[in-house]
Amino acid sequence: MNQQIIKLSGAEEQLKALLLAQGKDEAATQFAANGLPTRRIEAYHYTDLKTLLRDVPSALAQANDGNKAARSEFAGTARVEIVNGELAGDFDLEGVSVATSANAASGDDSVVLISEALVGDTVEIKVSGELDQVLHIDRIIDGDAAINADKVTVEVADGCKVTLLETFNGSDAAHLGLATTEISLGEGAQVVHLQLDGNSNETRHFANNRYSLAADSLLRTFVQHTETPLSRTVVTADFNGGGAHADFAGLNLLAGKQHADITLNVNHLVPNTTSTEMFKNVVHDGAKAVFQGKIVVAKDAQKTDAQMMSQGLILSERGEVLVKPELEIFADDVICAHGATCGELDENSLFYLMSRGIPRKEAKAMLIRAFLAEMFEPIEVEAVVKQLEARVDSWLDDREEA
Amino acid sequence: MTTPILEIKDLHVKVEEEDKEILKGVNLTLPAGEVHAIMGRNGSGKSTLSYVLAGKDGYEVTQGEILFNGKDLLEMEADERAAAGLFLAFQYPIEIPGVATMTFLKAALNAQRKSRGEEELKIPEFMKMVKEASAKLEIKQDMLKRPLNVGFSGGEKKRAEILQMALMQPSLCVLDETDSGLDIDALKIVSEGVNHLRAANRSMLVITHYQRLLNYIVPDRVHVFSDGRIVESGDRELALELESKGYSSFDGHAA
Repeated sequence: MNQQIIKLSGAEEQLKALLLAQGKDEAATQFAANGLPTRRIEAYHYTDLKTLLRDVPSALAQANDGNKAARSEFAGTARVEIVNGELAGDFDLEGVSVATSANAASGDDSVVLISEALVGDTVEIKVSGELDQVLHIDRIIDGDAAINADKVTVEVADGCKVTLLETFNGSDAAHLGLATTEISLGEGAQVVHLQLDGNSNETRHFANNRYSLAADSLLRTFVQHTETPLSRTVVTADFNGGGAHADFAGLNLLAGKQHADITLNVNHLVPNTTSTEMFKNVVHDGAKAVFQGKIVVAKDAQKTDAQMMSQGLILSERGEVLVKPELEIFADDVICAHGATCGELDENSLFYLMSRGIPRKEAKAMLIRAFLAEMFEPIEVEAVVKQLEARVDSWLDDREEA
Repeated sequence: MTTPILEIKDLHVKVEEEDKEILKGVNLTLPAGEVHAIMGRNGSGKSTLSYVLAGKDGYEVTQGEILFNGKDLLEMEADERAAAGLFLAFQYPIEIPGVATMTFLKAALNAQRKSRGEEELKIPEFMKMVKEASAKLEIKQDMLKRPLNVGFSGGEKKRAEILQMALMQPSLCVLDETDSGLDIDALKIVSEGVNHLRAANRSMLVITHYQRLLNYIVPDRVHVFSDGRIVESGDRELALELESKGYSSFDGHAA
């Protein structure tokens, strides 16, 4: 245990004060001992929060009617709205129950620690049927700039099936969002979990997504960062039962001075489980995208098959894509692979399109859309694909220099 | 006398950031309605000429000019050249995963129309055009459903190039080694496709190693290309002479 007293930054002092004000003395002490993670902590090597998170709002988001915040609307979905950490409105859908309970979880990682400590009530969702309708959970931060910690747990019973669409939205202010999502899949459960970030372009967004997979369950996930100046999503999955399969995907689509980090930890803990990982990073201007993907195959986890791919597209001289794939394999009868590519748009492809009369800017846009197409293709919720494509279009439109 | 479709005057070209000159004074006049062949050995600069005509980045014109329908071609970007009626059939058409062939064809045709101030094609009209043109080239509909050139055989790629050419109705067609990688049957289909496009207001520049292609696409003039320039020009007989004597009798280099 490191007993050295570190000098806290202004932001760290503020976070500590907030923890104390919430009566979280233990968490405050633990946080003060470590501060925000720096590059010396391996998991944060490319996302040094002491440097990147220099100012934080002073107050927690207070319960309100959420009127100032933008919403994501998806026709035909069943909607659960969480405003400033509190469940808003009634919810009635067969096969789904929604309740709240006090959160008591903690963590060693400083971001997890403050996220868990500042959560008031956890929103607990239980799925006990085969849902045809997409369950849309809109997590909203409303009001003036504030720190908002919210938590959603979803328990999908044995043999049950659900598509969860989570969106992050908020009022136009420099919030700090700390979102925790835990999804447990029962035996043979099938879950699609899509997480779209639609926060204001001043909000700093941190998400922790944790999954546990029982035998024969099937999971498909997608996370995306496009809007906020600083974001980090940590995806952690534990395979606890044989025959389970998961596909993990994610996208950082960045410009300006944005910094976004997707960190993935996939733990194959038992025999006969499989996974694929597909992550893409597109950067323009001086943006920085980080992908860290770690696949662990435990000693007993024979017959694991895991295929990880990360691809980067750098559209400017100053843009950076930082990729760290890792395989930790303790079993001997497994198939694991990882690949990483990174580059500019292909000059020959660009010339080919232009030689057919397509102007440079449009040709580049076509190639960028093509780069992303294979990632959107498996997302079966048409409204989500449309929104993602629209986001890509507006992102492309915003790029002045073609 | 009417303006030639293409006039190349004393064209000198080097690769950007390199000192090596590749084209060393090319002179060529291509009148409307004529088909000219450029024959030369590997590395003589034939493909560079085709890329410079189409506007590929990475080349620097150090001297000379190119007039396309009387206008300065070198002032235009690649897409503007296409919209103005220049078409390059690639020796190696580029595979572009993630771009559906039909989407690409529609985007290209509409971009050209837009730059000429014409209205966008209506979808049924576009579909009909593609269907008719592809039938002539024996292109199956399922090929058009695939991503652009992805998984196409060599012959399919070349037929797809000619399909694009037929749809775009250019005034200048530059065919870069269109015969390479084609078997005799495919060569016939492609050549028929090209011959079908011969017209009084359209010119073609056919670049090839072999005289074989010229049995099918019969040129009005043949130019022998060597070491970055045209060393001999003549009628169709020149191609036959070249075939029997070899390039060395024209450029003095060993074969």
